[in-house]
Amino acid sequence: MDLFLNLVASGLVIGSVYGLIGMSFAIIFRTTGVLNFAQGEVMMLVAYTAWTLTHTLLFPFWLLVPSTIVLAALIGMAIERLFIRPMTGQPIFAIVMVTIGIAITLRSLTTLVWGHEFEGFSVPFSGGVVEIGPVFLLTEQLAVLILFMAVSAMTWAFFRFSRVGMAMRATSQDETAALLMGVDSRRMSSFAWAISAIVSGLAGVMVSVLFARAPDMWHFGLKSFPAAILGGLDSPIGAGFGGLIIGVIGELSAGYIWNGLKEISGLILIIVILMVRPYGLFGEKELERV
Amino acid sequence: MLTLTNMQIVYDRVIEAVRDVSLEVPEGRLVALLGSNGAGKSTLLKAISNVLFPEKGEVLHGQIMFRDRDIGKTSANEIVRAGIIHVPEGRRLFPLMTVEENLLMGGYTASTAALHDALDKVYTMFPRLKERRKGEAGYLSGGEQQMVAVGRALIGQPRLLLLDEPSLGLAPQIIEEIFEAITRLRNEEGISILLVEQNAALALEIADYAYIMENGRIVLDGTASEIAKNADVKEFYLGFGDHGAKKSFRDIKHYKRRKRWLS
Repeated sequence: MDLFLNLVASGLVIGSVYGLIGMSFAIIFRTTGVLNFAQGEVMMLVAYTAWTLTHTLLFPFWLLVPSTIVLAALIGMAIERLFIRPMTGQPIFAIVMVTIGIAITLRSLTTLVWGHEFEGFSVPFSGGVVEIGPVFLLTEQLAVLILFMAVSAMTWAFFRFSRVGMAMRATSQDETAALLMGVDSRRMSSFAWAISAIVSGLAGVMVSVLFARAPDMWHFGLKSFPAAILGGLDSPIGAGFGGLIIGVIGELSAGYIWNGLKEISGLILIIVILMVRPYGLFGEKELERV
Repeated sequence: MLTLTNMQIVYDRVIEAVRDVSLEVPEGRLVALLGSNGAGKSTLLKAISNVLFPEKGEVLHGQIMFRDRDIGKTSANEIVRAGIIHVPEGRRLFPLMTVEENLLMGGYTASTAALHDALDKVYTMFPRLKERRKGEAGYLSGGEQQMVAVGRALIGQPRLLLLDEPSLGLAPQIIEEIFEAITRLRNEEGISILLVEQNAALALEIADYAYIMENGRIVLDGTASEIAKNADVKEFYLGFGDHGAKKSFRDIKHYKRRKRWLS
């Protein structure tokens, strides 16, 4: 039982990371219909920038968080402005190909600027151990869980209640109608990229705290993609839960069956679930009025 | 209030949808724009609110003046802010959002305080929407959807309302209700309205002035009562013969049904 609970806990931790990145996939997809394959790279870029802020520029932690959020938003908006907006009106497939190009460019760019070395990312709260019943968690693991819950709650509230969040949903459902309401759809796309860069950037910082700031961090983007598919690409909260499910299943199968299953068990689960619910667990199916 | 001069609109750079159209909507008036399918009525409305670009439409010539300002190059969201609100053909609600969220979207440009008053006003106008406000808009009936579409436009506090076929696909009783609401908007709120309709008889009943469009041109215009009396309009749009009696379809030669207008 203790093993089970510990596996679930560490699954939830890694799942939170997947979930955050999955959420950022969903935020862009739901607003603009574009699948951003550079999500993992955006995450890496933000994490590297945050690392430079802490370790080179020696920002204190209370300053690090807001400045990372601002930088992430700027990075997201810049990518949207430079590469995505000029593609407006082109087929979605072409835009998705552009994001793959962005991914490769960002990957090379980060190694070019920061080099190949792994580096630790230290934050004031890391290093402690928290004991919750039979479950042992490192403080930074607990921080990931808390971050996940906070970001999920904020994302949910943003899309549900805020005027801009509602406008983003409206744009995804009917762009022309949204234009007729006075919504500037280009600005919505810019917001979506900014928010998604913030969410994945925070996940990136947590990955570097948990493991290391490393040039292969972008793998997390690919691993989180199944989370977004599982939860439903048009539902950020669903994508978040999808991440948790994939994380837990991965840890459990690695712990009880075979270590190699960690990477693939989530994918097997996806195949099964998508056969039953093609729009994902929490995705919205197309409404058809009878 | 709104003046269009010599509008020429093309789709895909070559397909001409509207040619040399000039029309005017005076302050506080209801102007009807009538015509059959494909005459270019909806295109004209989309040109006014500058949302032709997603369909690759483009205004080649002409000027759109709104309250003495040229709005030809103004972006869609600025036009909404200026007070022109367009209710598109087929309602175009946000199907996965609730009725209330749809209505609130209509007030995207309004202040929060104004929004709540406006919301109450729409609920008094269409009490049925209040009952259904938590329901998803996609599941509403056609008539209710049209009420949401009109309500959504009103919440934005328009000076000029562009209505694209509000009667489309609705039961006669519901049409009556919607048209009553439209008339009230003009009479009580003083909103200027440009109404695009295929149902000519109905539109002429409530309009002050009317234009008739065919093949991208305006072929006839005049006060609503003049237009309603026009012999050709009677025959081709209202279905009456020369003597005012309802014409039997048996007497109509089919080749004659398509009228060529000389203008």
